[in-house]
Amino acid sequence: MTRVLVPVAVLEGESVSPGLVDLLGTVDVTVLGYHVLPEQTPPDQARLQYEDRATDALEDLSDAFRTAGGAADHRLVFTHDRQQSIDRIADEVDAKALAVPGITGDVERVLVSLSGDVAVDRILSFLTELVGDRDIGVTLLFAADTEDAAAERLDTAAEQLRSSGIDVTTTSVVGTGPSAALIEEASSHDAIVMSERAPSFSSLIFGEESDRIAAASVGPVLVVRYEEGLDT
Amino acid sequence: MSTGPSGTNLEGEAPVAESVVETDEATITDDAELERTLGIVGGLAIGIGTMIGAGIFVFPGLAGAEGGTAATASFAVSGVVALLVALPTSELATAMPKSGGGYYFISRGLGTLAGTVVGLSLWLGLVFATAFYLVGLGFYALDALALVGIGVGANPGGIVSALAVVAGIGFTVLNVTGTENAAKLQNGIVALLLSMLVAFLALGLFDVLGVTGAAPSGGTEADRWAALPILSTAALVFTSYLGFAQVATVAGEIKRPGRNLPLAMIGSVLIVTVMYVVTIFVATSVFDRTQLGTFGETAMVEIGRELLGLPGAFVIVVGGLLATMSSANASILSTSRAIYGVSKDALLPRWASRINLRYGTPHVALGMAGGPVIVLAATREVQLLAEVASFLHLIMYGLICVALVAIRRDEPEWYEPEFRVPGGPVIPVVGAVASFGLIAFMDPASIVVGGFVILATAGWYLYYARDVTLRGAL
Repeated sequence: MTRVLVPVAVLEGESVSPGLVDLLGTVDVTVLGYHVLPEQTPPDQARLQYEDRATDALEDLSDAFRTAGGAADHRLVFTHDRQQSIDRIADEVDAKALAVPGITGDVERVLVSLSGDVAVDRILSFLTELVGDRDIGVTLLFAADTEDAAAERLDTAAEQLRSSGIDVTTTSVVGTGPSAALIEEASSHDAIVMSERAPSFSSLIFGEESDRIAAASVGPVLVVRYEEGLDT
Repeated sequence: MSTGPSGTNLEGEAPVAESVVETDEATITDDAELERTLGIVGGLAIGIGTMIGAGIFVFPGLAGAEGGTAATASFAVSGVVALLVALPTSELATAMPKSGGGYYFISRGLGTLAGTVVGLSLWLGLVFATAFYLVGLGFYALDALALVGIGVGANPGGIVSALAVVAGIGFTVLNVTGTENAAKLQNGIVALLLSMLVAFLALGLFDVLGVTGAAPSGGTEADRWAALPILSTAALVFTSYLGFAQVATVAGEIKRPGRNLPLAMIGSVLIVTVMYVVTIFVATSVFDRTQLGTFGETAMVEIGRELLGLPGAFVIVVGGLLATMSSANASILSTSRAIYGVSKDALLPRWASRINLRYGTPHVALGMAGGPVIVLAATREVQLLAEVASFLHLIMYGLICVALVAIRRDEPEWYEPEFRVPGGPVIPVVGAVASFGLIAFMDPASIVVGGFVILATAGWYLYYARDVTLRGAL
């Protein structure tokens, strides 16, 4: 079954909102509790002091996910490098997507970005599984240079989702960057689904795109993982 | 042997022990994982960054005054001793890639008494080394003030002490409160230092070898190519090589430890040995013994001035400041890890490894590092500080070699190093003899202070941790 990795800064009081727990009820979940340490602190030293507290919190979280539907387990990592730990665990559990926890109530409508050079098929198959037979609407968003280019990709994608019985609307935006378009639309949706990109120059400078969007949109963001060597 | 550590200390605390699985990316314990985040570059930066500070910037004057160009041989001898220890340390570190380094190997290989002595004298040895780096920093800061035209007044020594103490307080506070990752900065400083030095040394070598007319106009006191001064100078300058074992204190955080630990330790020793030997050769070719003796701790600045004029002096002052800072900072970090290692094994109270809730830093251990450092730095006893630091490290290095021989003889089930020192027991035995032997050439005062510290740590074992058993326990 499809697995989603939910990284949580467990000792900093970060948690997962009930809306996201319900949304992920159709998939398996691995909760990754991480704690980032300054380089002065050996990870093992922090573990001795905080392990019990962190494990308690993680058990509660994975219980909540289990109650919502899918199978759930948890991992706890003490690290100097958050991204490295998330990448490693995502590979090890073969997660199809990562969740950036945000605040949301019941999810009624998700916003899906198809902008840019992304693996549309991977996004759609994940989405179909995520929505399942639930009454969750989907808005497909595409930011393009011309109206025609947008229309073609959106129509094909919408058709594919409708055939699985999903309620779909499409929005195309011309002349705005993909991130800006996504943040603009986010306020009228409860969660965002987007695709991870290959590591780029701007991700080095500004950090991960998904983290920036999560910060700007407040709600949770599900990031479908990029796979190397994938033809899109 | 699969039995864990056992017994309790005076306060009834037992060593923390559990079975863990080491992979190339993480250490996996029962309920948690510890990410390995340092690569080969990070490892080399710790080794080189700790070593290249004081050795290259403080010793040319002191060592050159002793032996002249023969001091080049002293640095080479020290480098060979360091290499003889780095090889066994690498083997043990790949078998036990855990924080604590030398302490860990010795306590597991030779038992709790040797472990306590080494663990506590590693802490105190690093304290002496850090104080030495800070005094070096003070001398360079004084020269920097002089270069920009700020008068030093009638009591330059007092100012050096004050600068060293202020820097010591600064680094301790920075390490307790600074949660920004400074590793990248450290890598950058090391890279900058290396490139500055390589460029400078290339110019210096060209000058010394090609243009013999650059010889100094002053006195012509002859070099002393004799075994005794060469070896006693080697014992003094050995402090310049203390950094490689600090790589082992972060062994638990190094990615692919089987490959990266030996590369980082042996590689950093080789790199700095070459740098040191060339530097001393240039330094002692530009000035003779009397002149180097007059210049003292910051003789390198005068060498820079002689070779390249004012810009040369400026480059060396900046380099000296950066290098002594990076050495001091890296050593304070290692000290706090050393304290954590012994505290985890109940050889020091558990509270010594508490972590600060606000900053997530080990403030108690950092304080136990920074406090004595500041006191010692105020003494300004460059030679004594350096030699006691070397003394305490050499005891550990010798015992690491002995521990390797002992563990190999028992060859316990868990012992599966990825890197093995070739040549059977030859290298560790020679390494042990060389480490202990070098101590004999130190100043008697340093031997007395060092010996006192060793006795005090053994006394602490008898008083506090007699009932703790660590031998053979992984």
